[in-house]
Formats: sequence, structure tokens, C-alpha cells
Amino acid sequence: MNVFLAVLWKDLVTEWRSRDRLVAMAVFALLVVVVLWLAAPPRAAGESPARLAGLLWVTTIFAAVLGLNRAFALELENEALSGLALAPADRGWIYLGKATASFLLLAVIQALAAFVFALAFDLDLRPVALPFSGVAALGGVGLCAVGTLFSAMAIRTSYREVMLPLLMLPLLVPVLLGAVRATGALLEGRGIPADALRLLVVTDGVFLIVSFLGFDSVLDE
Amino acid sequence: MSGLALRTTRLTRHFGPLVALHPLDLEVPAGEALAILGPNGAGKSTLLRLLAGLARPSGGHVEVERAGRSRVARRRHVGLVSHATFLYPALTARENLVLAGRLYGVADADRRAGELLAEEELEGVGERRAGSFSRGMAQRLALARGRVHDPSILLLDEPFTGLDPRAATRLEERLRVLRGKRTLLLVTHDLSRAAALCSRALVLLRGRAGWLAEEAMAEADRLQAAYRRALAPQEPER
Amino acid sequence: MSHSGPSSLRRATAALLAVCTAAWAYLVWNAPVDAVQGVIQKLLYVHVPCVLGAYLGFSLTAVCGGLYLWQGEERYDRLAASAAEVGVLFCTLVLISGPIWARGTWGRWWSWDLRLTLTLLLYLVYLAYLLLRSFTEGSERTARFAAVYGIVGLAVIPLNYFAVDLAGGRAIHPENLGGDSLGRGMGAPFAMGMLTAAAAFLYLLVRRVELARLRAELLRRQLAASESTPSGPSWAT
Repeated sequence: MNVFLAVLWKDLVTEWRSRDRLVAMAVFALLVVVVLWLAAPPRAAGESPARLAGLLWVTTIFAAVLGLNRAFALELENEALSGLALAPADRGWIYLGKATASFLLLAVIQALAAFVFALAFDLDLRPVALPFSGVAALGGVGLCAVGTLFSAMAIRTSYREVMLPLLMLPLLVPVLLGAVRATGALLEGRGIPADALRLLVVTDGVFLIVSFLGFDSVLDE
Repeated sequence: MSGLALRTTRLTRHFGPLVALHPLDLEVPAGEALAILGPNGAGKSTLLRLLAGLARPSGGHVEVERAGRSRVARRRHVGLVSHATFLYPALTARENLVLAGRLYGVADADRRAGELLAEEELEGVGERRAGSFSRGMAQRLALARGRVHDPSILLLDEPFTGLDPRAATRLEERLRVLRGKRTLLLVTHDLSRAAALCSRALVLLRGRAGWLAEEAMAEADRLQAAYRRALAPQEPER
Repeated sequence: MSHSGPSSLRRATAALLAVCTAAWAYLVWNAPVDAVQGVIQKLLYVHVPCVLGAYLGFSLTAVCGGLYLWQGEERYDRLAASAAEVGVLFCTLVLISGPIWARGTWGRWWSWDLRLTLTLLLYLVYLAYLLLRSFTEGSERTARFAAVYGIVGLAVIPLNYFAVDLAGGRAIHPENLGGDSLGRGMGAPFAMGMLTAAAAFLYLLVRRVELARLRAELLRRQLAASESTPSGPSWAT
């Protein structure tokens, strides 16, 4: 537990001092929203909310991949990752620390993206702010859970930045479909469908558990 | 383990078909300073990283006093100081030590960090970012980091690399002080320091180990000669 | 280990495959032509068995990966890698035969129905797995990473099922081939097809594992030959 908090603290402090990940993710998310708005401009009333939910989540995934790519980049300097690996504790806690840090950063970006999205596509998210945040969080957990594991792998491969989305995207379908379905329902003024919620929760659980256990092998030399 | 700090039983490591370390049986008595010598690529770092618990052996076991064969428990009693410092450049020296302390579950990490900064004469720069440190200072901080949990076994992988003569002498002095109560395993290319600090020397060549005569450790010249003999190509028929 | 000819396992699986294929071909040839779909329906005798190979392949990859992580024995990794390569071959056949059949019956090359989408997703995971293997540096690290990825990939298959179902993927795919939904005389070729697919999988797996073993042996010998002196230091004591 100590290890978890220590790693989380370290990642957040480091990020706060340079803010480069946050800024990169924010700018990128903004750019994606603008591009989407230009490429698929909102039609007059009658725009399908489900389609907008899809665009929002695509934006989120892109930003998440960018951020997760950088999650372990700083660990390569001075072989700091080996320093972490030396800790006499279950390495899963290191994983959780890093995943949580990524999750918090992503949450900030998700809020920003939602705000800009609402502006660009003329949505009013205020009435559904709370459940929307819940869905956003569940989706974020799924992204960061599996993304952190694969980010640690990707830094040891030949095409680092390309490797992460390659590994992540085929596995993100449950998260994406569940989140889009839930978000779409919220935008249409309905409640979150129970099956979408269940899918998200189960997927997140599976990803967290498998990644927690698998991280030990990934950190080995 | 009766007076032994560390024991390996047929410790092996291969990477696919490449055997980095052939089965090694090693016993290191508590309090000994052991030098590990050999050319580059001989398997010295591999051995140290196996002992530190960073890698899983392909075969055999490592046992450490008070930790048995458990890899996780072993990491509590072993400290590794490598030529890479494991430091985070964006964090201050103190923060790096506090982080390390928390990772090792040290009781009062802040106080321990303060102690270590004093011991390594880094109090003045405790609040400076580690990224701004010179090589010598970074290595001192790395040594402090490796000792944060007061391990009984200290593994040093070419710690003298890149140090100017003054810094190197200082490190040698520090190791001399640390040596008595702890077991030291020192990988180095610097034979004079090996002779000065260590009582035995193990030579690794292409993953195979052999001992040098203990008398050779008395003096740098003798060690140099013994080492050269050990590396000389063998006659085909033996 | 030196071979003077194919191993006995290879011969046995080859023989099994030959027998199964012959029986299967005979049964397919003589199977009645479907009243509604016409001759194209016979493509299903290839398509469905290949699905078995595709899913069997990945399951084996994941399980062997798990065994490798647990036991650390290289042969599990070789098996995992081989199963992935054989499995992806079957998966490719599914994704080729499926649309051809669909075009011939429903008139469309593709539809995002549950099973087809699921298999496409499996295919993507396969490809990611194989890319991870080729781009990771170090054979031991490759084995470890691939094993972890394989396990996550396997866990995702049931999740994908529910996900695509949620998104409305259950549409046109023919329902499960229960005894009564098949016409008379169609049960036997299907069953034989499954057996043949299993036999083909086994045979290809055996060949691929042998290749992997030979490569490892070759590397071992090359390494041994490149060392001018095979022994370690000469010590004074």
C-alpha cells in the first residue's frame, strides 16, 4: 500500500513540475475535437447523440494513448524503472500507482474534452453531469488499467510509440462499446442501461486483476 | 545458513539459446567483501541482477540469510548500486531518498533521508533536483539510495564508472567504512580498488566462474597478474 | 538431436490428417445441396471447422503462455508461438470463407453481426500478439510479454462477446447448428469437418514446433561455434 502511494505521489509530483504530459494530452484532445467538428460538422437538431458519444470516446482514447505512452518514458532515464522493480513488495502495487496517476491525468483531460465537445456540438451536459462523470471514470479505468500494463511492455520494444495503440486497441472494444452505449443513452436523456454498466464494471475488474498479476512478469529482466 | 550471507545453488541464466550464466555454486560468508571480475559481457551484471532479485533465474536458487529462497523477501536485505543511478531527475535529492524509503517500507523515511544525506555529505544539496547533480554527486546519492533500508548485503555494479579520481577515492573510503558490518559484492574493472577493498575475487568469463588465489588479493600487481592468467586462452587438451 | 527423416509424431499426425481429409472430402462431395442456399452452402463445411482452429489456436497460446510464466520452460513458449501462427492461419480462412459465403447467400460481403465481428476482433488480437513477438527485443523477454498479452487477449474474448451483443450485433448469422436445423445428410460432413480441422491444426502445430526447435538448436550451435574457447577462466588454485 505504501508502495502504491509512493509511486502515485512520485508520478503526480513529477507531472506537476513539468506538466508536459498534461499539456500534450490537452492540446491533442482539443485538436481532435476541432478536426472531428470540421470533418463531421453537427447537423441541425436531430443529431444522433449516440454518434456524438462515439466521437467523444474516440477523442478520449486518442488522448489516453498519448498520455500512457509517456507514462513509462520517464522511468527509462537512469534506469529508474529497475529502481522501482527492486522494491521488496508485490509489483502490482507499482502498477496500481502508475495506473492511478494516469487515470487522474486522463480525468482532467476528459473533463476538458467534454466541455469543449459540449461547446462545439451544442450539447448541454449539465443535467447529466454526475452519471456522465461516472461513465467517464469507468471508461478511464479500463483504458488506464490495460494501457499501463502495455505501456510498460511497449518501452522495451522496437517501435515504442506505435506499439502501445497496436496492443491496446484490439482489447478496448468492451470498454469502448460499453462507454459509448452508456454515454449515448445519457445524451438522449435516458438512464444508463444496466447491461452497459455491468459490461464496463466487469471489464474494468478483469483488466485490473490480470494486469496487477501480470505486471510482475513485465517488470522482470 | 550458519555464517553465510548468501548462497547460490546451480544458479543459471539463459536468454533463449544463449547461456549468460552457467550453473554457479557460490557461498559468501557474512561480512566478506568479494570482487567479481571479468571482461564485458561475461555475465557479471547478470549475476548481480539475479542476486538483487531483478531477474528470475532460469535454473537454480539464491538463498540469503533471513530471507531464504524468496525473491521478494531477498530484496529487503539486498541493496543494489549500479552505474545507472535509479534517480528521478525531476525530484530533489531528499525526495528521491524518501521515495526509496517508502518503497522499502522504511519506518521514518523522512528522518532516514536526512541521515543519509548527512552521511554522504549531501545536506547542502538536499533540496536540489537530482537532474542537476554532477556524476560524482549523483553516485553518492545512488549509494545513499541503495542503503536506504540498511541492507546487510550491498551489491555494487561498476560503481566507479565515470568518477573523477577524487570522487572515486571518496567512494572507496565509504565502501571501506561500510564493509565491516555488511557483505559486499563489488563488480569492477578497477583492479587496484578490488585488491584494496576485497578479500576474494571471482572471475567470470563467458558465463563461467573461477576463483583467484586469495594471496593475489594482497596487492594490485599480484591481482593484475592472476587476473591476466585467468583470462588467458586455454590449451585445447587439458 | 538429429533427424534422418520426419519424426514419428509428424508421420502420425500427417496420416491422421490424410485420412480425415479424404473422409471429409468424400462426405462433402456427396452431401445434399441445400435447397435454399445452393452449392455455396458447402463452403460452410470449410468455414465452420476453421472457426474451431482459430479459437483453439488462441486458447492454446494463452494457456501455454500461462504455463511458461509459471514453469519458465522454453518449450511452452515455443508451443504458444506456434499455436498463434497456426491459429492465425485458420482465422484468416474464416474471414475469407465467411464473406464469400455471405456474398453468395445474403448478398453482402460483410455485416457487423456478432460472430463475424467477434472473429474479426480475435484476428486483430492475434495480429497484435504476433507483432509484439516480432518487435520485442530478447527472446526471454518476448516470451514473457507474449504470455501476458496472450492471457489478456483470451480474457477479452468473452468480454467482446457481450460487448458486440450489447451494440446490437446479433443479427443475421445463422443460429447454432442444432441437429434439426441441419438438413438430412449434413450432420456427418460437419462433424467430419471439425475432426479434420482438429487434425490439420495438430499436424501444422507439430511441424511448426519442430521448426522452432530446430531454429533454437541452430542458434545454440552457432553460439557454441563462435566461442573460440569453450571453457571459462583458468584458475590458479
